[in-house]
Amino acid sequence: MTSHDPDRLKDLGARLDEAQRRNAARAKGPPPTQLGIAGRFATELVAALVVGGGLGWGLDWLLGRFGFHTRPVFLIVFFILGAAAGIRNVMRAATEINARMASKDLER
Amino acid sequence: MTLTPMEQFEVKPLVAEPLFHIGGHPIYFTNQSLLMVIVVIAASLFLTLTVKPGRLVPTRGQSMAEASYEFVANMIHSATGEDGLKYFPFIFSLFIFVLFCNFFGMVPGSFTVTSQIAVTFALAALVILLVIVVGFMKHGLHFLTLFVPKAPWYLLILLVPIEVISFLTRPISLSVRLFANMLAGHTMLAVFAGFVVALGSAGGVFTGLAIAPMFLIVAIMLLELLVAFLQAYVFAILTCIYLNEALHLHDHH
Repeated sequence: MTSHDPDRLKDLGARLDEAQRRNAARAKGPPPTQLGIAGRFATELVAALVVGGGLGWGLDWLLGRFGFHTRPVFLIVFFILGAAAGIRNVMRAATEINARMASKDLER
Repeated sequence: MTLTPMEQFEVKPLVAEPLFHIGGHPIYFTNQSLLMVIVVIAASLFLTLTVKPGRLVPTRGQSMAEASYEFVANMIHSATGEDGLKYFPFIFSLFIFVLFCNFFGMVPGSFTVTSQIAVTFALAALVILLVIVVGFMKHGLHFLTLFVPKAPWYLLILLVPIEVISFLTRPISLSVRLFANMLAGHTMLAVFAGFVVALGSAGGVFTGLAIAPMFLIVAIMLLELLVAFLQAYVFAILTCIYLNEALHLHDHH
């Protein structure tokens, strides 16, 4: 038993070093800047509107080719859904940034 | 003297003859292609030549290469956990490519590849395709529960389309963020550089005033170097976050 002790201690030391290094590197990630956060929210919101509107427009166009004249029903419906998705995206981004900031504060 | 701050983003063919045709469209070798080739060669050389195994004290280049390796490895580990490390080669290549494109764009007179929406959107589409493929390979059709939040069934009629649209937004917000940041920064630099020329050639008191935008350019240049790194980091970390959702579905919420 005693003959193994130096080996085990060395092993423990190596593992401790590794864990410490990992924690230090994790804290090194750059914090989100004010401008970065603002840009993030803006793109999330606008992109969702564009995707929603585009999907609705595409659906209307597709159905129109098959003889159903739905324009502009789907465009309106999907635009509103896109707005909802945009707000959902912003909420998700906000919780994400909050979590990152909170972990930064803890480490400090 | 006219100010043309957008001229730097013009994609010009370097060889008059098209390389080949795809579906009748001529494909040229442009200044953008040249920069991408330079970036790939520079990144490969940097990562292979600086690193030599068995060196006790790493050289400056080797520490930089190893630091970037560890930085990305830790980022993947903290964002996706152990099983995300399988995708390390993809995310590392992506990060290094975007980083080098951003940094090479900072060299005066060169071309910023990442200021082209075509390039950033192609990268973002690649990421989302990977996420979808990984999700379906790991979970099969169960992957689709990603779009079904916990809610009573009558709300799901409304919520599922919203979640689908929210998912489809990702390639767009991912690509627009990188493209817009690079475009805005480089346009700003060119506009302030134009001020220096305009004031300098105005004569009289104004010539002396030309020094003011000059200092601003230096400050913006430093800011742009930070942005260049930050945007590459954001692109990579968001890739990790999306990959994490595909790997673990809802259990990390």
